[in-house]
Amino acid sequence: MRASRVIMAAASAAVFALVLSACGSGAGDGGDAASTGSDDAATAGSDGAATGGTEVSIRGCTPENPLIVTNTNEVCGGNVLDAVTSRLVHYNSDTAAPELDLAESIESTDQINFTVKLKQGYLFHDGTEVKAKNFVDAWNWAAYGPNGQLNSYFFEPIEGYADLQCADEECAAAPAAEAMSGLAVVDDYTFTIKTVSPTSNLTVRLGYNAFAPQPDAFFADTDPKKANFAQLPIGSGPYKIVENDDQAMVLEKFADYSGQYPGSVDKVTFRIYDSTEAAYTDVVANNLDATDQIPGPQLIGDLWKDDLPDRWGTKDTGVIQVITFSPIDEQLESIEMRQALSMAVDRALITKQIFNDARTPATGWVSPVVDGYKAGACTACVFDPDKAKELYDKAGGYTGTLTISVNGDGGHQEWAEAWCNQLITNLGLDCAVNATPDFATLRKGINARELKGLYRGGWQMDYPSIENFLTPIYATGASSNDGDYSNPKFDDLLKQAAAASSNDEANALYQQAEAILGQDMPSMPQWYQQSQFGYSTKIKSLKMTPFSTFDLGSIELN
Amino acid sequence: MTDNFPGGPVKGPFDPSSSANLADASRTARAEDPTEVPPDSAAVPLVKPTMAVMAEVVPDVQDVAEARSLWMDAWITMRRRPLFWISVALIAVFVLMAAFPQLFSPLDAYNIKDACDLNRARLGPDADAIFGYDLQGCDVYARTIYGARSSILVGIFTTLLATAIGVLLGTMGGFIGRWIDTLMSRTADIFFAIPLLLGGIIILYSFPSSPDTPYLLQVFKVVFAMAVLGWPNIFRIMRSSVMQVKPAEYVMAARALGGNAPHVIMGHIIPNAIAPVIVVATIDLGAYIATEATLSFLGIGLQNPIISWGIDISAASALGYVRQAPHMLIFPSIFLSLTVLAFIMLGEVVRDALDPKLK
Repeated sequence: MRASRVIMAAASAAVFALVLSACGSGAGDGGDAASTGSDDAATAGSDGAATGGTEVSIRGCTPENPLIVTNTNEVCGGNVLDAVTSRLVHYNSDTAAPELDLAESIESTDQINFTVKLKQGYLFHDGTEVKAKNFVDAWNWAAYGPNGQLNSYFFEPIEGYADLQCADEECAAAPAAEAMSGLAVVDDYTFTIKTVSPTSNLTVRLGYNAFAPQPDAFFADTDPKKANFAQLPIGSGPYKIVENDDQAMVLEKFADYSGQYPGSVDKVTFRIYDSTEAAYTDVVANNLDATDQIPGPQLIGDLWKDDLPDRWGTKDTGVIQVITFSPIDEQLESIEMRQALSMAVDRALITKQIFNDARTPATGWVSPVVDGYKAGACTACVFDPDKAKELYDKAGGYTGTLTISVNGDGGHQEWAEAWCNQLITNLGLDCAVNATPDFATLRKGINARELKGLYRGGWQMDYPSIENFLTPIYATGASSNDGDYSNPKFDDLLKQAAAASSNDEANALYQQAEAILGQDMPSMPQWYQQSQFGYSTKIKSLKMTPFSTFDLGSIELN
Repeated sequence: MTDNFPGGPVKGPFDPSSSANLADASRTARAEDPTEVPPDSAAVPLVKPTMAVMAEVVPDVQDVAEARSLWMDAWITMRRRPLFWISVALIAVFVLMAAFPQLFSPLDAYNIKDACDLNRARLGPDADAIFGYDLQGCDVYARTIYGARSSILVGIFTTLLATAIGVLLGTMGGFIGRWIDTLMSRTADIFFAIPLLLGGIIILYSFPSSPDTPYLLQVFKVVFAMAVLGWPNIFRIMRSSVMQVKPAEYVMAARALGGNAPHVIMGHIIPNAIAPVIVVATIDLGAYIATEATLSFLGIGLQNPIISWGIDISAASALGYVRQAPHMLIFPSIFLSLTVLAFIMLGEVVRDALDPKLK
C-alpha cells in the first residue's frame, strides 16, 4: 500500500519525462490547447460580463480515480479536492504548519485518547451542517476493507482498524466489524479517537485529505463505489465543484463558506492537459493563467524566467530524493564504503549544473519544510574527495562495475550520469547508469531485491511531520524500507517519540533517531526538491503550498 | 532495379553471337572471334580461359581499351566523377576515425576523469574544445570522434551479415528454383513486411542490453536485429539477378563442359550477378548507420557508457537544451549525416557506373 506513495513522488518526476518525450508532439498539442484556450477565453469574457465575477484557469490533469478523498492519492485529483474539502486541520500554505480548521480543539493527555471538538455552523455545499458523525462514518467507510480505498491505511493507527480488513485479496469473507472501536460520537460536535499505540503527531496527520468529513449525500449514494457522488463531490471547502468532465474541472466559490481560509476569485477552471509542455506554452502566451509544472529543459539557463518575466515563482516542497544501497550487494555493506560513495559527490555542483538550482543539496533525511527538521544529520553528505578516497581505500574498493539504477522515464539519467562521473573521477571506480524502461520495472527490481549496486528512491510527504520521513522508510520491516535497514535502537527511538507527551519532545526524539541514520547510512540523501510555477499577466500574485499545489485563496488579479 | 543489370557483357566491338559463349564476362576480356585466333591456341579458351591466355591473346588482335571488363569499365567511369572521390575521402576519414580515434582527438573520451568536468556543463565552443561541452561537461569533439566507432562498426557488420545471408539464399533460390525458391521467397516476404525500425525496436526490447554488457555484444545485438530484417532486400535483388544470368550462354557453356554446380555458381554466376547487390548494400549501409542512431536515440540500441552519436543526439535534443546549447546537438548530428551521406553517395556513383541504361 505504502509503495503507492513512492509512486506518487515518482509520478510527478515521470511528468518531467513525458515532457521530454512529448517534444515532438508538443507543438501540435500546444496548438490545439491554444485554440481551446482562446475559445474558453471568449466564452469566459461573455460569462464574466454577465455575472461580473472574476475567474482564472489553472493547469489540471486527468485524475487517476473518481474524486473521493479516501481514494485519491495523486495530485491531479488532489489539487481539486484540496479546494473542495475542509479538514479538521489546515496546513499553512507557507510553512505547512498545522492550524485548526473545522476543529475547535483536539486534545489528549496520553497521546492515545483524543477528544475532537468541532466548530459550529460549518456547512457542506448542499447546506447540511458538518457534524461529528460525518467524520466517524466517513472514516469507518474508508477503513472498511471491501470498499477498497487507496488511502485506508491512514486509519491504521486507530483502534479497531484491523477488524475492518479483509482476510485475503478477494475479500471472500466479510471483515469482523464495520466500525472501528476507537471512534465514538459523543454529541453533534464532539467525537473521540483512540489509537492503538501512542501517536503524538495525530493532529498533524488529520490535515490529510483522507480525513475530510463526508456529507449525508455521500452515504445516500447507492453505488458501492460512490461513483455518482464522486462525479461532483460535496465538501465543506471554500470552493464547490460545478463541472467535471475530461476537458476541465470547474470550481465556483462557495457563498456560505464560514471558515478562515476563503477562496479569492469567483471561478477556477482546472483545464486538463496531457503535456506540461503544452500547458507551459499556453501560460507563456497568456492562454492559461497558471501552471504548477515547468518542463525540465526550460529550467536550464533560466529560460523559463525569460519566457515568463515577473510571473514565475518557486517553492520548497516536501520531497526528498535519496540513493539506496542494495541490501544484496555485499561490497556496499561497510560503513566506510557508504560514506565514501556519499562524500565523493559534489551535490551542490550537480544541483547547479543539472537542475539549475531547482534542487537543494540534502544534509539529512528529512525535508526542511516539515516541523522537526534539523539540518546536518548526514555528516557524510559533505563533499570531501580526499577523505572519500581514503575511506574508499580503507573499505577495500569496489570490484566490478557499480551501477546506479534509475527509471528511464523520469528524467533521472542526467543526474545519475553526473553522480557516476564524480565517483569515477574522485574514487577511480567503474560506474554505469542502468536505466529501466519505466518506473514499474524499477520498482519490480527493487521489491524483488534483484538489483545490485545503488538505486534511487524518492519520497513525497503525506503530512508535514518529521515522522513521515523516518517511520515509513527506515523502521524495521516498514513497507517502503527498500534498503532493508534495521536498527533496534532506531526503532526504539521512533516508539518513544510517538509516545512523547509534547510535540517538541517528540521532535527531539525523532531528531535523535535521524542522527542514528547518520551513523548507519542506510541511504545517501541527495537533495530536497523545489517546485517551479508560472502564471499569466492576468494574475498579480499567487502562492504555492509545500505540497506543490496552488493556494487558491492567495490569488490576486491585476 | 534488377532489370537494369544484365549479367552478361554489354560492351565491346565483337559479335556477341559468336564470342560470348566462349569467354566469361567476368574475366579480364572476352574472346574475339575464334576464327581470328591461331588454330593451335583456339582450344585453350574453350576449355578454360585463363588470365594468362587472355592477356596473351588479346593485345594481338584487339585494342585493350575496348575489351574492358564490367568492373574496369565501372572504375574508369567512377574515377572521373568528383562525387566518387568526395565520398571515398569522407568514408576513409570516418573509417580511420573509427579505427584510431586517438589520431583525431588527443583526449580519450572514455576517460571520464580527463574528458568531463561538470563545472563546464553546456559551455559553448572555445579554444580547448572546438565543439563545446555537453550536459555532463564532457568535450563534445572528443565524444563525437570516439562515437564514430559504434556507427561504422554497426554499419559495416550489418551490411556484411545482411549481404552474406541475402547473397547465399538469393543464389540458392535463383539457381535451384522450384520449391526451395518458393520457400525462401515467402520467408523473405514475411521479413520484408516488417519495417526495419519497428522490428528493431521489438527485437532489442526482447534482448535488452545493460551497462554491464560487453561492447561487442551490444554492437552485435544491434547488428543482428538489423541484419535479420535487412537481408530480404538483398535476397530479392540477388535472386532476380541470378535468374537473369542463369540462362546466359557462358553459363550454359560452363555447364556443358562439365562444370559442377558449385563451380558454375562461384565462378560464373555470382561474379556476374553481384553488381546490383553491391550497389544496394552500399546505400543500405548508410541507412543502417542512421537506424542504429535512431535505436540508440530511443534508448534501446547501444547503452551508456558506450559513446555513440545516437546516444549523444538523444541526450541533447530536449527543446530547452536545443535553445540553450545547440552545439551539443549539432556536431554529432553533422557527423552522423555526413557518414550516412558518404555511403549513399558512393552507392549512387557505383550504380551509375554499373548501370548500362544510365550511360
